[in-house]
Amino acid sequence: MKSIHRVVFAAVAITFASIAIQPVLAHHSGAGFSRETIQLSGTVKEFQFRNPHSWIQVNVPDPSGKTVEWSIEWGSPNQLGREGIRPSSFTPGMSITMKVHPMANGSPVGGFVGAKMSDGKTIGKWDAE
Amino acid sequence: MRIKTLTMLCGLSISLMFSPLSFAQEAAVTPFAQLPDWSGLWSMMGGTIFDRSTQTGSGGAIDHGVREHPPYTPEYEKIYMKHLALRDIDRYPDVITNCGVPVGFPRILNLPDAYEFVVRPDIFYIVTENGPNTMRVYTDGRKLPAKEDTWGTYTGVSVGHWEGDTLVWETIGLKGSRDNDSILDRTGLILSDQARITTRMRKVNENTLEARMVIEDPKALTKPWNVTKQFRKSKKPGLFMYDYGCAENQRNPVDSATGKTLILGADGKPVN
Repeated sequence: MKSIHRVVFAAVAITFASIAIQPVLAHHSGAGFSRETIQLSGTVKEFQFRNPHSWIQVNVPDPSGKTVEWSIEWGSPNQLGREGIRPSSFTPGMSITMKVHPMANGSPVGGFVGAKMSDGKTIGKWDAE
Repeated sequence: MRIKTLTMLCGLSISLMFSPLSFAQEAAVTPFAQLPDWSGLWSMMGGTIFDRSTQTGSGGAIDHGVREHPPYTPEYEKIYMKHLALRDIDRYPDVITNCGVPVGFPRILNLPDAYEFVVRPDIFYIVTENGPNTMRVYTDGRKLPAKEDTWGTYTGVSVGHWEGDTLVWETIGLKGSRDNDSILDRTGLILSDQARITTRMRKVNENTLEARMVIEDPKALTKPWNVTKQFRKSKKPGLFMYDYGCAENQRNPVDSATGKTLILGADGKPVN
């Protein structure tokens, strides 16, 4: 079973994601992120719950079996904290599936959309895209 | 002799209390009990387009093709067009991305994240989490300084007074575009160091604050520019404001050679 599901929703999920991206990119230009949504499955390495943006580092096996560390950018911890997100929301070793807007150039970096934990719990805009 | 001296001192004190200077100071200050309640956590409504009423193009300030239409002079329209052209090739970095300068006024009324508006008889504070930034409006009866006593700062100097439940203040002494490090939003809107802004701020309902600005700028504008920003009060009680260290986890530095805002990957190297 492939543990990376780079499901490009080209026809059904190329979403006009600028609204979703805006809060993530409050600090800098949005240049570089694609508007398509992909899914990644992997293991959380680190949750950088720090300003100006949070970053989730996730180890994701690629189709060849090689592990690639993805950097997923999210909002300010201040704003996220008021919405109930905590540093413990993503802990090292946690198995996770994420929806992200990846870099258009193929780099393992993306903007966070939502995440689904192994127990089925979701975070972010998992159901929106 | 002692009684006579005391009587003289009392008389002097009373005459000072009612001197024109002290009377003017006291008359201008609104007692705390008469001030409106603007407590709580607030957030700006809408995106960070400074003047949405004149926006053309769809999307936010970073989206290609989006612009606003202030009544710019030809000189400032040309500068704005240059900024827009750079923004459209993703080479117009936000000045605050370098984590070194305040956003200044009026951009302080155009920020994401939380706000606090602190009302006191002698002063009004705008406190923003993003940045963080602070702006002071003195309401203690003082006058604006003479032009030669200002030298151009990001937030300028502001003096105001209360007209019922409306705070009215004037701001001068802004640095504007002098050093290319003070903008109004990410489309590249700017003002000059001649800007003078009159702001009227009040609650339009229990959960909405409104700031109406009239921006005059003989160098940058052909006529007054009216811009309104609104803020919504959080309904959740007990929320906290936090600090915001822009440089704490800065993974989006600006490449000074190209103006490109970089994105740093897991190894700390740019991926774009």
